[in-house]
Amino acid sequence: MDPGYYKRHQQKHSGPKAERKKLKKQEGSTEEDGRKRNPKAFSVQSAVRMAKTFHRSQDIKTKKHHIPHVDRTPLEPPPIVIVVVGPPKVGKSTLIRCLIKNFTRQKLGDICGPVTIVSGKKRRLTFMECNNDINTMIDLAKVADLVLMLIDASFGFEMETFEFLNICQVHGFPRIMGVLTHLDSFKNNKTLRKTKKNLKHRFWTEVYQGAKLFYLSGMVYGEYQIQEVKNLGRFISVMKFRPLVWQTSHPYVLVDRMEDLTDPERVRTDPKCDRTVSLYGYLRGTHLKNKGQVHIPGVGDFQVADVNFLPDPCALPEAQKKRALNEKERLLYAPMAGVGGVVYDKDAVYIDLPASHVNQQQEEVRPTTELVQSLIDTHATLDAKMAASKVSLFSGSATLDSTDVEEGPREECVWDPNTQRKRRKVVFTEKEEEDVSGSSDDDEDGDVDSEDGDQEEQEEDEDEDNLSTFLKDARAESDETEKTVTDAPPAKKQKVEGGKKRGEESAEVPAFADSEDDLEMSEEESEEEGENVRAGDSGHCSEEDEEESGDDDDGEEEEDDKEESEDESMEEDDAAGATMKKQTASESEEEEEDSILRFSCCSRHSALEFILLFPSTGGLRWKEGLQQKASEAFLRQQKAAPNLRKLVYGSEADDSDDEEQELGGLFRVSRPQNSKKSQANGVDSSRFDPDASHNWDLEEMLNSIRDCFVTGKWEEDQDAATLLKEDEELYGDFEDLETGKVHKGQTGDENDEDDADDDDNESLVKVDDDEVQKKKRLEKKQRLKERFNAEYDDEDATYFDDLKEEMQKQAELNRAEFADVDDETRVQYEGFRPGMYVRLEISSLPCEFVTNFDPHYPIILGGLGASEGNVGYLQMRLKKHRWYHRILKTRDPLILSLGWRRFQTIPLYHIEDHNGRHRLLKYTPQHMHCGASIWGPVTPQGTGFLAVQSVAGTKANFRIAATGVILDLDKSVTIVKKLKLIGYPYKIFKNTSFIKGMFNTVLEVAKFEGASVRTVSGVRGQIKKALSTPPGAYRATFEDRLLMSDVVFLRSWYPVSVPQLYNPVTSLLLPAGQKDSWAGMRTLGQLKHDLGIRNKPNTDSLYKPVVRAPRHFNRLHIPKELQKALPFKSKPKQQQPKGKTPRDLQRPSVIREPHEKKVAALLLALSTVHNHKRKKAHTAQHAKHKEFLQQKEKLEEAKLKRQKEARKKLYRIQGQVDQKKSRSSLKGAEEE
Amino acid sequence: MASHGLAYDGCNFFRQRLVLSTLSGKRVKIKNIRSKDDNPGLRDFEASLIRLLDKVTNGSIIEINQTGTVLFYQPGLLYGGSVEHDCNLQRSVGYYLEALLMLAPFMKTSLKATLRGVTNDPRDPTVDMLKSTALPLMKKFGIDGEGFDLKVVKRGMAPGGGGEVVFTCPVRRTIRPVQLTDPAKIKRIRGVAYSVRVSPQMANRIVESARGVLNQFIPDIYIYTDHMKGANSGKSPGFGLTLVAETLNGSFLSAEMSSMPQGQGDPKLPEDLGRDCAKLLLEEVHRGGCVDSSNQSLALLLMTLGQQDVSKVLLGPLSPYTIEFLRHIRDFFQLMFKIEVQKPSEDERKGGDKVLMTCVGVGYSNINKTIK
Repeated sequence: MDPGYYKRHQQKHSGPKAERKKLKKQEGSTEEDGRKRNPKAFSVQSAVRMAKTFHRSQDIKTKKHHIPHVDRTPLEPPPIVIVVVGPPKVGKSTLIRCLIKNFTRQKLGDICGPVTIVSGKKRRLTFMECNNDINTMIDLAKVADLVLMLIDASFGFEMETFEFLNICQVHGFPRIMGVLTHLDSFKNNKTLRKTKKNLKHRFWTEVYQGAKLFYLSGMVYGEYQIQEVKNLGRFISVMKFRPLVWQTSHPYVLVDRMEDLTDPERVRTDPKCDRTVSLYGYLRGTHLKNKGQVHIPGVGDFQVADVNFLPDPCALPEAQKKRALNEKERLLYAPMAGVGGVVYDKDAVYIDLPASHVNQQQEEVRPTTELVQSLIDTHATLDAKMAASKVSLFSGSATLDSTDVEEGPREECVWDPNTQRKRRKVVFTEKEEEDVSGSSDDDEDGDVDSEDGDQEEQEEDEDEDNLSTFLKDARAESDETEKTVTDAPPAKKQKVEGGKKRGEESAEVPAFADSEDDLEMSEEESEEEGENVRAGDSGHCSEEDEEESGDDDDGEEEEDDKEESEDESMEEDDAAGATMKKQTASESEEEEEDSILRFSCCSRHSALEFILLFPSTGGLRWKEGLQQKASEAFLRQQKAAPNLRKLVYGSEADDSDDEEQELGGLFRVSRPQNSKKSQANGVDSSRFDPDASHNWDLEEMLNSIRDCFVTGKWEEDQDAATLLKEDEELYGDFEDLETGKVHKGQTGDENDEDDADDDDNESLVKVDDDEVQKKKRLEKKQRLKERFNAEYDDEDATYFDDLKEEMQKQAELNRAEFADVDDETRVQYEGFRPGMYVRLEISSLPCEFVTNFDPHYPIILGGLGASEGNVGYLQMRLKKHRWYHRILKTRDPLILSLGWRRFQTIPLYHIEDHNGRHRLLKYTPQHMHCGASIWGPVTPQGTGFLAVQSVAGTKANFRIAATGVILDLDKSVTIVKKLKLIGYPYKIFKNTSFIKGMFNTVLEVAKFEGASVRTVSGVRGQIKKALSTPPGAYRATFEDRLLMSDVVFLRSWYPVSVPQLYNPVTSLLLPAGQKDSWAGMRTLGQLKHDLGIRNKPNTDSLYKPVVRAPRHFNRLHIPKELQKALPFKSKPKQQQPKGKTPRDLQRPSVIREPHEKKVAALLLALSTVHNHKRKKAHTAQHAKHKEFLQQKEKLEEAKLKRQKEARKKLYRIQGQVDQKKSRSSLKGAEEE
Repeated sequence: MASHGLAYDGCNFFRQRLVLSTLSGKRVKIKNIRSKDDNPGLRDFEASLIRLLDKVTNGSIIEINQTGTVLFYQPGLLYGGSVEHDCNLQRSVGYYLEALLMLAPFMKTSLKATLRGVTNDPRDPTVDMLKSTALPLMKKFGIDGEGFDLKVVKRGMAPGGGGEVVFTCPVRRTIRPVQLTDPAKIKRIRGVAYSVRVSPQMANRIVESARGVLNQFIPDIYIYTDHMKGANSGKSPGFGLTLVAETLNGSFLSAEMSSMPQGQGDPKLPEDLGRDCAKLLLEEVHRGGCVDSSNQSLALLLMTLGQQDVSKVLLGPLSPYTIEFLRHIRDFFQLMFKIEVQKPSEDERKGGDKVLMTCVGVGYSNINKTIK
């Protein structure tokens, strides 16, 4: 085996062999050569065969296609989840540590929870260690992108490995890479190689042929060899992944951080109260909608209270130009492991000061410490800023003034149960937070402000609307005070206010079909004032305050409204304008009739034109200016906000404004409920009534839609003239073959002529023209090329290619559509996109989740699609796993892993009979699929699931009991079980019998009238009618007479209902250390075993020695008359036994004399001899005869042969004659 | 398990709520249904709609209180199959059909619904209109193929009814995203002028007057006259007109008008009706968009239920019904549309403002459909 033993192959460099080789190399393609040399060998031998080979090759080609999917991966994908799996003590943590060190040059002590690192310019990795608990294995298999499967080579495969592979297989197969460790324990090289090979091949059969298996050959100072880890790292960072169905259709988060937000006071008073928890992690899979439902495996289903995205704690490097990452960009983020230093939240910053359990000796060099130090330092200098700001200790609690706060950052010692140590929670003031985090605090502020503004606004509105004039003065005052009170920057406030207000109003008025009011009003006024009013209402957004619509009859109030709207518009103006406005308002109140300016906005829709009435009378110039200002403000406001959006969706704050508000402690605002109610109970019709303002008799109206028709004007690029021109350019010169006419492209010639003309005139223009020409030519070329390409590609474009292209286009559109929208708005439209670092707030989590939190167990937030949160009946196809050593029993509780969930349920197994009946099975078949029905969470069809009988502890045997797939989501299949009703005949007539004991009442019998019954012996019959006594007895007819000993049974099918047990496995809620000991409902067998109950067997089922009584048959009696009639043959013979012969009939035995004996012996001898002779002669005769027969046969044969030959000759001659005849007759036609 | 029910007040947009609830699987509770009314509670036609929903679903739970002012609806799975329903005469078949159009593609088995009642009345979109606009619209979303049809077997005018419509729809697992941003120009106008239990001349008179208006724009106009007799003519007399404008890109805009039901309001001359209807069509053209105003919500729903891709549709001004529908979509599917107003440029003569609706579908897949 020594490689040095063999002589190396020596290539010839000279001589005939080398010459030949060289020649061959030069000639190149030998196949072509062969074709030339031996064309016959390559000719078509059989068309059928050729077709077959063609089909086959096409089949193979097509089989390679996958259904094209729209590529929905985000531009900045989330980190890749790498799950490191393996039995205990196989080196999982060591490997993770080595890989992290390889990528980030940092050392990590305990691997707690997910560890996210930046591994390259475009790739981030999240490592997660999977312990040996089957719950963890199931959960992580669902979120893994890549699985590093560690195998202890010195031991071989362990059950966990195969269990995990099977779990993966069910939930979509992520990439799996095997890693063999403990290879240094092999002393013998040969056994090492053999083991490697064996393990490799077994691994291949499980994953796929040629799956990558890595070898980590040994440890150096407690770590794997650097080179090997580097190789593994390189493999990981270039690996490609294929999308998995479940993962790409559901959003999910692998939580890498958890904070308890519950009010500590509540926890103190009631330690068992439900907790509000915020969970953090990268969003993966697909878009996550706010307020959706999520499932946390091991905990349960929850509604997400709030989602927001945070700045990426482990961001990819910004500049992509350079080759490698620098040290600063090699980020590491693992809050659960205590790394990551400062973590931000929406409203707080958390800093970990030196932790006790992360490597103590590395404290000095840890970057976090420095960061924290620096932060604290800067903090001290910010005192001045802090003085004015407010601090909120906990979200939702009251703010504290700076007077309450001592100098420096507030520090709170919080006992963190997760890490088992004291944490110092630092809370900053708002301003500092902004400085530090730069996160989305602005909005918060804005929100608060706007809400304030809203309330003010609301009050104002209501004032205006509902109080009579004497209140108005009071309102004006209050206005003033409000103005002084508000402290927010005016510009900002205005904007938000305006937006909010509009939203608010729109929300109150869901439909705005009442545009007539507006119109009428303006018309009225136009009459009054004699002014030119044009109501340019486009109709689709003629929205109005409901208050307005409520009281539009009243002229005066209408006027009031007008002023109010004016007021509103003015309010949006700056502070200086505000004071002026007050004057205007009061003045306009006084001089109602000659209202100088009127500003009516009929809608909040940007598309609407609004009416401006400019008075001709106007004497007061400043008021005019004011008017303009107001209108400008209005315009600004119109443009600033996306109005239609606000109109449709409103703002979030306005929903809660329904309560009646108190005014000055005296009056309650009673809102006109009438209109609202009528809205709520309006006519439900999708008809959209036309806008009354459009008069389709007018010519201008008709002209406004002229271009909507093909007869109208076309766009520049679609104009027939342009199209024609284009065609001409493309196919400029051509010769009509029929007529022989030559058409020349006009453009070139004309231009040439033009050029010639221009030449004389101006050289400058000529240069320009040249360039234009050049450009035109280039364009033309480009177009031609494109067209050619398109046509060329079309040549062999298939359906598949088209589909792929379509998907590609869609993907591009998806990317481009929201690319330039900022994240805040984008999130509202498409939800949180994968790759974002999100914070999910969940209220009402069980307290055990927090108190028993163990970061070693993964927390996964799996998003649920529409109606996946419901529970219902599921039909599945199930197969007992071939490695599970027992069959499964119907109605034994089973733990299923389906979708995100793990839950216990009670399945019913059934199989479909050939007549379509679903028959209940007591046990699953051994090696066959069967149906199963359960009560469980609604999950889309085609989702795979796996079943285990218990998740507690580790068992010696293979744990996965069954696998399968969801088929259907309702109870359309009725499962039936066989039911045999037994009865006994109590009276037997000829073919009719009375049967009792099968039913209990007449009614029951009536239900089964006409049903077929059968006896054990196979006599078939039918139920006819119930008998009055005894109750439940009936008359039945049979095809034969029954015996009293017969048992009659009725075979029927009884529908079985599926038990409604859905019991989520809440393993994460168990105390730390016992998380793998979840026990649900026990099976009947376990219960019996635990309680020591043994069933008494049915006595009928016990085996007893068979005792058979001998059967006695009576004589057959034939009447005498019949006997007489019978022929003798059939007549019963004397059947009496003969008995003993009487004495006189007994014959005496003969005793011979000696002489006689001698004679007899002689005679016997003679006769024997004679017989022998005769026999001999007979055989001789027989032989002779045989010979004779043979002879005869031979002769016969010869004779036949002769005859045949003669006949043949005759026929041939005859045939020749015939041929000659026919040829002569066809001679004219057929000539050769 | 966290509750995920929704609560609403009042009976308005009753269909939207029930339909979206059925599709999203979220239960819904509607309170104060005409609670202040003299005749409180659900009306007969609403009850009839609930009954229809009950027929096409499997395992729905519907609870109505004694006065009928509170309705609780927990949707089951859409079953489909062959359904026969006698619609209440207070509303036309269009009312029920609009709900069915939204549900039909997501059933377990393909739907074959026979609806009887009023086929044409002035309040709801008539079956002719739905046939000529809603069906081609749905085809754009990939709901097509054999057995996608709406057939008017008998015509029944309000108030007597007696019409019959057969609607068949195949089942789809997913809905295709669409980009309907260019309505293109109108190439032809078609229409149906129908008359039952009146003189067949009525239809011809309608056609004449309608053509008079529309001929100013386009010569390619053909309006069929449909006069039904005998058993197919329902129980009440009446006539009407449905006009459909087809564009080069295959989008349809339609308008319709039918005579007032017998014994309600002033009778209308067929000439006036034809002219008014033609003007309505012009109005619809003025509004424009790729989807006509009564089918806006259907288009938006199918966009919502599409795959997780960007869909775009250009609409005319949003109708109040559509606006409420958008809100409901946000409630049930947490989906918001990007709404952009497209103003016509100065020299364009293409009617009013358009609205470009963009959304990313929720990735809905038909969980009712069985796989074998």
